[in-house]
Amino acid sequence: MKLLTCPMNGTRPLSEFVFGGEYRQAPDQDTCTDAQWAAFVHNRSGAPGDKKEWWYHSPSGTWFIAERNTLTDKVTRTYLLGQNNTTQEEGK
Amino acid sequence: MQQYDVKSIIQTSPVAHAQPRESAKWEVVNGMNTAVEFASATIENARKKVLGVADVSCLARYGVKGPNATQWLLERGIAIPTTPNSWTICEQKTLVLRLGSSEFLIEDQLGGSACSRLASDTTRVASVFKVPRADAAFIVSGSEALNLLSELCSLDLREKSLAAKDLIMTQVAGISATLIRQTLNGEPVYRIWCDGTYGPYMWEVLIEIATELGGGAVGLAQYQSS
Repeated sequence: MKLLTCPMNGTRPLSEFVFGGEYRQAPDQDTCTDAQWAAFVHNRSGAPGDKKEWWYHSPSGTWFIAERNTLTDKVTRTYLLGQNNTTQEEGK
Repeated sequence: MQQYDVKSIIQTSPVAHAQPRESAKWEVVNGMNTAVEFASATIENARKKVLGVADVSCLARYGVKGPNATQWLLERGIAIPTTPNSWTICEQKTLVLRLGSSEFLIEDQLGGSACSRLASDTTRVASVFKVPRADAAFIVSGSEALNLLSELCSLDLREKSLAAKDLIMTQVAGISATLIRQTLNGEPVYRIWCDGTYGPYMWEVLIEIATELGGGAVGLAQYQSS
């Protein structure tokens, strides 16, 4: 069974979670160019590697960030947004 | 056009669709039509000891969340669990479940009055939001309760893993549910809450396994009388 650690609820089966896409910071819409904004809206990086991702623990309604290597599927840490200095037990 | 007083409308338990209409005895409890007896008291008592499943959706509930929810509840005399994912009992008749850092579910046990008191307070307060609740709620009792839950839930719910005041939000039978272990009238029981629309499904699953393990449905009267 694959497991993931929710920062609020602890380690749970992956079936309790929903993937929410890569965490991406929008460019400043007041200063960025149209090309930069279009790239943010339309382009995604499909290259495998370390990614920050949104995950959702559905029984509790908790959104959090997981840092996951999409090549090895290894999760290094999970945390609530804004609390990224809190390392959680790594997922398996 | 005919006018209806919403306060006079009698609700039906969200679980009722999965319960027998004729063979069970029905009563209105807290404004909700609820099955209070499925079999004789002797049979239900025996089920309760082995594996009894009771529908307690009729208990009054009040949900509240927001950055100021803790303060708002404290000001109204509600005892608050100190950490998220834990619960406490307030005024001996009210369960206070802390579902997150700033979200609470308050449930009056039979005879409790905290929810109606909170609901009657309609003053708007900044950063305090009422959460409408429509839960299906169950009591699972008896010596086989853990065996039933081990078939439906992937977490270890034994006493050593689920501490007395711990609350967990996980999936039970594939449905998002909140679960605690509680001592009710001196008897350890598990309490389960899930969304009301899943109530009939949850009831059917619980009853099917309970029957296999030698238990079955228990009416609310078993808990009203004790």
